[in-house]
Formats: sequence, structure tokens, C-alpha cells
Amino acid sequence: MAIFLQVVLDGLLNGMLYALITVGLSLIWGVMDVINFAHGEFLMVAMYVTYWLGFLMNVDPLISWIASAAFVFILSVIVYKLVISPLIGKPPLSALLATFGLSMLIKNICLNRFSPNFKLLSDTYLGGRVIPMGDLILPLPQLVIAIVSLIVITCIYRFMTRSRTGWAIQATAMDRDAAELMGIDTSKIYALVFGIGGACVGIAGGLLPMYMPVHPEAGSLFSLIAFVCVALGGFGSIVGSLLAAILVGLVEALVGFYVAPIFKYVAVFGLYLIVILIRPKGLFGW
Amino acid sequence: MWYGVLLLIAVLPLIPGPLQSPFAQHVLVLTLLFACMSQAWNILGGYCGQVSFGHSVFFGIGAYGAGMAVVTYGLTPWPGAIIGALLAAIVSLIISYPCFRLKGHYFAIATFAIVEIFNRLFMVWYWVGGALGLDYPIIEEGWKNFMWFQTKTQYYYGAFGLFILIFSFVRWMEANKLGYYLKAVRDGQEAAEALGVNSTAVKLTAIAISAFLAALCGAFFVQYNLRVDPPMVMSLDMSMRFVLITILGGLGTFWGPLLGAAILIPLQEYSRAMWGGLGGGVDLIIFGILIVLIVTRQPKGVMGFINLLTTRFKATKGGDD
Amino acid sequence: MSKRWGRVIASIIVIALLAGFAVSGVACAEEKVIKIGTLFPLTGPVALAGQRCKAAVEAAVEVINNSYPDIPVPLADQEGILDGYKIVLIHADHQGKPDVGKSEAERLFDQEGVFAIIGSYNSAVTKPASMVAERRKRIFMCGASSSAELTKRGTRYFFRIAPTDETESIEFVNFIKWLNETEGTNYKTFGVIYENTEFGKHAAQEAKKAIEEAGFEYVADVAFNPGATNLNSEVQMLKGKNPDVVFGACLGADYILWIKTMKQLSWLPKVSLNYCSGYQDPLIAQQLGGDGDYFMGTTGYSPELAELMPAVAPVEEIYKSKIDPPVPFDSDSIQEAVAMLVLAQAIEKVGSLDTEKIVDALYANEWDSPLSLGGKVAFAPGGQNIKAMSTITQLIGGEYRRVFPEEFANAEPVVPMPSWDQRK
Repeated sequence: MAIFLQVVLDGLLNGMLYALITVGLSLIWGVMDVINFAHGEFLMVAMYVTYWLGFLMNVDPLISWIASAAFVFILSVIVYKLVISPLIGKPPLSALLATFGLSMLIKNICLNRFSPNFKLLSDTYLGGRVIPMGDLILPLPQLVIAIVSLIVITCIYRFMTRSRTGWAIQATAMDRDAAELMGIDTSKIYALVFGIGGACVGIAGGLLPMYMPVHPEAGSLFSLIAFVCVALGGFGSIVGSLLAAILVGLVEALVGFYVAPIFKYVAVFGLYLIVILIRPKGLFGW
Repeated sequence: MWYGVLLLIAVLPLIPGPLQSPFAQHVLVLTLLFACMSQAWNILGGYCGQVSFGHSVFFGIGAYGAGMAVVTYGLTPWPGAIIGALLAAIVSLIISYPCFRLKGHYFAIATFAIVEIFNRLFMVWYWVGGALGLDYPIIEEGWKNFMWFQTKTQYYYGAFGLFILIFSFVRWMEANKLGYYLKAVRDGQEAAEALGVNSTAVKLTAIAISAFLAALCGAFFVQYNLRVDPPMVMSLDMSMRFVLITILGGLGTFWGPLLGAAILIPLQEYSRAMWGGLGGGVDLIIFGILIVLIVTRQPKGVMGFINLLTTRFKATKGGDD
Repeated sequence: MSKRWGRVIASIIVIALLAGFAVSGVACAEEKVIKIGTLFPLTGPVALAGQRCKAAVEAAVEVINNSYPDIPVPLADQEGILDGYKIVLIHADHQGKPDVGKSEAERLFDQEGVFAIIGSYNSAVTKPASMVAERRKRIFMCGASSSAELTKRGTRYFFRIAPTDETESIEFVNFIKWLNETEGTNYKTFGVIYENTEFGKHAAQEAKKAIEEAGFEYVADVAFNPGATNLNSEVQMLKGKNPDVVFGACLGADYILWIKTMKQLSWLPKVSLNYCSGYQDPLIAQQLGGDGDYFMGTTGYSPELAELMPAVAPVEEIYKSKIDPPVPFDSDSIQEAVAMLVLAQAIEKVGSLDTEKIVDALYANEWDSPLSLGGKVAFAPGGQNIKAMSTITQLIGGEYRRVFPEEFANAEPVVPMPSWDQRK
């Protein structure tokens, strides 16, 4: 029983991390109908920002995630202006293609500049700390990420449903031309959404180096999982992507332990296929 | 035009000069192969409008068909390629029947999940070699075993055969009922249904043909590389290449896949040959920049650019009259 | 009208691109030059190892081409080989992909006209790439690919310097037997954690074979997907089966994550032995700090072995100047340098660039190799270096202490590993 609870707990915590990565992708996808293939690379860039701040200036990830998020926000807005904005309203696949090229570009620039060495922050404040609870072990870094993830997602949810800008974003998502006629500067909205999406993944990337090594390929598998979570939750649904990510984390942990670790991603992708057959627009799609 | 291009491709490796070098011939073979592969993808993705990231699965099944025929059973690759292609068509029908209910991105992500599932299952499936892959033994070269070690000319003509098969089929399709049905489904499923087109049947036909042809390309690929393992053939990376080439050339156009492959493959191979040895991924950086540039400047692909040029040309000419 | 023009322009572009890109490589005009190709994964998931291997070959060539009378390595005291021939390296990148590796090997031989190729780190790439050489009857020197199958293919032109995963597995099992005899331990149950790739899978198969042949129990077989986002279920699984000894085949980032996860879940085997992998990377050892301590693995070279191999230090200085950040040799990269040196020695001994004679000489002679543990290199039919040796080391305080076999040992192994709460 203790092992079962531990596995569930690990799955839950990982799921919260996936949620934080997913929510940004979901937002971009839902509002702009753009598939950002460079999402995993944004994560990796954020990890590098935290790593270098920690390595050169001894800033702990608990603080430097703010810088990572800000950096990726700015990076995202620049990417939007240069790469995405010319493609709005063009065939939807061209944005995918452009971000694919972009992901290749970012990955290899990091390889070129920072070498392929695995970089690990050795002395972080929380690194390796755990809270023992009887038979259960609660790892602190993952716990912090999960809490931050919940806070960030709640904030975004409230922002989208309560604020005027949030309404403007939703209006743009539903019908861009109509929103434009209502006096909404949709181009600004898009830049903002792309930036917020980037900032979310920036926060995740800023906190991850507490226990994950940084290297140019670090974001690859995360982005794959994020894609599935977005579609599983339903495009554009924030609550959906949160629940989908937790579900993915749980399935991954349970199958990984009770079946075989090698099948955990087979199960995750299989789960998506099964859900999508019953609900073709994901759990919370509209 | 069609016969002109065929003739040109037929004589290309015979032209004396730089094209005679083995590496240039390698680039030509790959270009033709990926043009074929992207055209196979184009049947479903371009003409029928169902963007699939799953084609590397069919490509891989074809590759494993030929590979297992040679490595596991000691036969020639031919029966393996045919069985692999038929199997790919069947698998495509099984997995796509439920998936075609999905719209747009949901379909794309579903195909994407299918690639990952197949990749990971093949990685642990002992019968097909698992993660270790299949390596060809040294056997007699020639058309019987479809492998050559010294020159690439025969490979080139093998690829040319595939090219004729696939491109002629698409050419035929464009002028026939099937082509119109496909385009009708792409342009609006409800409207097509209203006109009496059975959209599910049309889509299933398209994916079965597409998967069959993709698997033949996969069989060629494994014969060319003499090794197969899951990450080589069944990966998102491979699927992306087909999509990239087609979109770059022009989605849903007849010449798009050839143009896209003729740009992307030489670019990839020559940039790696020139800068890959420096380390540090300079070739991939340049490759990435070029993709971004081309796409943002000309989102409709090279064919879009050509169409633009011709309209302008026509407009100026009209002014003269 | 417009359609026809479209087609004409399309065809012109096709011609221009197909023909225009066909720029042939510039032939090297210099006279006394021997071209050798290197083929390593300079980009992609294992780029780190590839770049180190490339730098190691460059260091070896530097030693051969220039006169370093004070370096006790064959060919160091003279300039070049064959009375003044210089070796020129042509580097290629296979990105960790077998199809790219094969086409790059063909390009190196056919287009660049290299005499031989050194490579390719990933066993999955070495297989097809070395077959290219075999079919052309050219030499393929392999430093560090570990799959035992490579030298069981009956090839003639393929030579491998490093010990195989087969011999490493047997050495691991012998080490445990030795522990049980001398230290009074009683380790019976074994587990293997490995990435599910050609490298990991093959190592695991060999491990299983060796473990079962020795009559031990193989209780946990844990394969994972490389580049993992977490290894919680993998470690939980190990913890559940609780084997005494765990063999690991995890590369860089996964190795770090594996250790961090074991620490979080506060579990450790009594002994952990690792194949050439993250364990050997001096930078990783440094970054892991105390957490990486007490793990063991095979090591063909590490700075602490320098006292056995005095010739390494000056070559290592050259190597460090070729890589950023400067790191010492590791067991993989140094094998690539040995591959280059042995090939050069064979060329020098034969006195001409006759591939057949060089191959015969490579098989017939025992080569001095001050950069190898044991100091000798000799090849069995199939191309395996039968003098290949490695020691089992234990990492303590950032230092790789040699614990087995006894003739190389400079420290007693610390077994069982102290559990996490007993550490500082």
C-alpha cells in the first residue's frame, strides 16, 4: 500500500510539472491555432538561464526562475514578431514548419555556445531535500514545482475569465475578425498570448535545474508529452490541460511501476488515443 | 513537361561532370526517394487535407518487411517489400478508421501518438530485432537482392522506378474521379457529403494508397542503408521530413514534393558535408535559419512563389497588349 | 499560358538545384599527406562523447605530425610518418543516426578519398559504417563502440580497441565473486538498469548471460527510454526487487537523474557497477559531488590511472587544448587516440600505403601502446583487441580509485555502499 501511494504521489507531482509546461502550449494553440514546435526548446533555454545564473552568480533557482520566465517571455515576443506574425492567417501548417526550423536553430545554437556537456547545479537550496512522512517520501523540489504550477495556472485562469484583457483574448480566440471590429488590437493580443505561453514554460524551465541536468536535448521529451496533454485536455482549455497533465503523470507512474518502465509512454500515448475515440475533442474541448 | 522531367531525371546521372561523383549520386538518390515519399504523403496530406504525422509508421513497416525478409528469413527483399506494403495499407486502415472522426489538430496529434507507440513497441519487440535492429549480412549484389556496394547508379534507377510509379499514379489520380473526390473532401467535408461523396470511404482509400506507397519507399530506404532500427525509420523526425518537404514545395500540388525534396535534401546533405565536421551543429543552425526564412517569406511553398511569378508575368504582359 | 510558364520555371529550378548543388569537394593539392576520416556524433543526443572522441584523435595526430621527443609514445619523436608524410584529418558528423553514418562513411571514402576511417562511438552507427569500409576493402578503426557483436561478424578490415560489453560483464561478475570470497559478503541477486537503445540493450543481454552463467540470480530487468523526464518508476521498481548488485548502462543526463532519484527515494543497492557511461565523465562526477560517491564502473583510463600510464599526461595536455571546457581523457575518448596511433604505427611499419599489407601487419604484430592500460594492443581475427583491459574503479571524493583486478588495485573497495543517510 505504501508503495502504491508513493507511486501515485510521484505521478501526481510529475503531472503538475507537465501541467505547467502544457498550459502555455495550450493557450497558444487555443487562441492562435499555432502549433509551437519550439516549446521544448523554450523550456531548455529557460533551464540554461537558471543554470548560468546559478553557476556564475550563485543565484538559487528559487529566485532565478523569475529571470528565466522573463527571459523566455521576451524571447517569445521576439519570436512572435519575427517568425509567427507573418504567418497569421496563412495555412496553419506553415507556422508548424517555421517553429520546427526554429527548434532546430535554438537547439543547435545552445549546442554550439554551451557545448553538449550535461550541466547540473550542485548546491541548490532545495536540491535533494525530502520530507519523510512515515513510509512516504515527499521530494521538496518537485513539491515546490507542483505548488508553483497550481498558483500559475490559477492566476492564468482568473486572468482569462476575470480581466478585460482576458476577455479580449477569448474574443480573439473565438473570432479574430469580429474581435478586430470590436476595437481589439489582435496583433497585440497574439504577442501577449505567445509571451504568456513562453513565460509559463519559462517558469517550469527555471525551476527544473533543481534536480534535472541541463543539456541541449533536455526539452525534447517534455514537449512531446505536452503536445499529448494539450490535445487530451482539449485545445484552449486551461482546466482541461491541468487535469490531462495530472492524468498523464499518474498513468505514466502507475504503468511504469506495475507493468514495465519501458511501456510508460506507450501507455500515455495509448491513453490519448482511447480518450479521443470516446471524446473526439478531448476531455474539455469546446 | 511531365515527359521532359522524366527524361531529365533519366539522364541526370549520365551527365559527365560534377554529378558523376559518388556523393552527388548519393544526394540524387536521396532526393528522388524523398520526393517519392513526400508525394505518397501528399496524397493524403495535400490532396485530401488530412495532415498526418504518422507516415513514418508505414515507411517503417515497409522497411521492416524488406529487412526481415533478408535478415530473418534469408530471402530476397522483393516479397518482403510487397508484404510490408500490404501490411502497411491494412495497418493504416485499422488505425485511421477511428482517427478520421477527429478534426484538424486532434487528428494530427493522434497520428503523432501512433508514431510514438509504434516506435516504442518495435524497440522492445524481440521478433523484429528490438532496439538492436537488423543488420544485413554481406550477400550478392544485384537486382535480385536489390543492393549494390560500389556504384549508386542502380539505386538511382531503382528510385526512378518508384518515382515513375508514384508520380504517374498521382498524375492519373489528379485527372480522375478519385482526385476530385479527395479535393472535395479537403475543401469541405459537409459540402462533399451533400454532393453524394462518401467522405469516409474516400479518406480510407487515400490513406491505404498513401501507406502502401510509403511502405515501398521504406523498403527502398532499408535496402539503401542495409540496416534498420526503430529510431531510423519510425520516428517523428522522419515523419516531419515528409511534411516539411511537401509544405516547402507546395502542399497539394503535383510538383511540390519534387521541388521540396530538390531543395531540402541537397541543402541538408551538402551543408552537413561542408560544415558538419566542424562540430557544434553549424550545418543544422544554417538549415534551421533557412527553413524559418523560406517559410516566413513564402508560406505557400515554392509552388506558391512560382504561381505568384507567373501571375505577375501575365499581368505585365496583359498591360502590354 | 500561366500554367505552362509555371512548369517551365519549375523545371528550371529543379535542374538548377539538382545540378548546382553538386559541388565536388576540393581536392587536396598538397603532396605528402595521408587523409584519415573521423566519423563521430558531433550533434544530437550523444554529441558530448562524439566531440571528445574527435578531440582525442586530433591530439593523437598532433603527436604524430610534430616532433615531441620527450613524449614516450611511438612516433612522437619524429615528424610525420613514412619520412615526412603528415596526417590530415577530415571530420564528419553522423548525428547518432545509422543512415547518416553510412552515407558520411561513403562520402569520406569516395569523395574525400580518405585512407581509413576512425569512429563511430555509437555501435548502431559503427555497424553499417564499418560495412561500408569492409565492402571497399578499406580500414575502419573503432575506438570505443562496445557492442561485442561488432567483432563477431568475420570482418577483415575492422579493428576495435576497447573491451566489449561482453568482457566487461564477465569482469563485473568476477569482481562480485571475488568480493564474496575475500570480503565475506554474500551478494546473490542482480539487477540491470539500462536505456533501451542498441547500446543499453546489448549491454543488458551480455550482463544477463554473464550473471546467469555464474549461477547468480537475475531479479530486475529495468529498461527505460533515454532522455527521460523522470526515473521514478524505474527506481521504484529496483527498490521493490531490491537486488544486491545493480549494473547500470545509463548515459550522461539519465545517469545524473538516476542517482538523484535514488537519493530522493532513499534507496541504494549494495554495489553498483556501470558500463562506459555517465559514470566515467569527470565533469559529471564533479557536479554530482558527494552523491556520485561509492559507485563503481569499468575504466580504461582516468587521471588516477596516470601513475600506471606515464605517457598519457603530455598527450592529455594537448587534448585539453582541443576541447572546451578542458577535461581529462575519459575511457572512451582515449581509445580513439589509441586507434589513431596504432594505425599510424602500422603504416610506418609497412612503409607504404598498401591497405592489404597494413591489415596483415595489424593482425600479425603486437603494438606498443603507452596510452592503453597494459601497454599493448593486438588483434584477433574479427578485429577485437585481445590485450584490451579495463579496471574496476570506485568513485570516492571525486577520485576514481582502482579496486579490481588486484594487480592494478590501489585501494580496497568500500562495500556495501554507505546508505544516503550515512553520508555527510
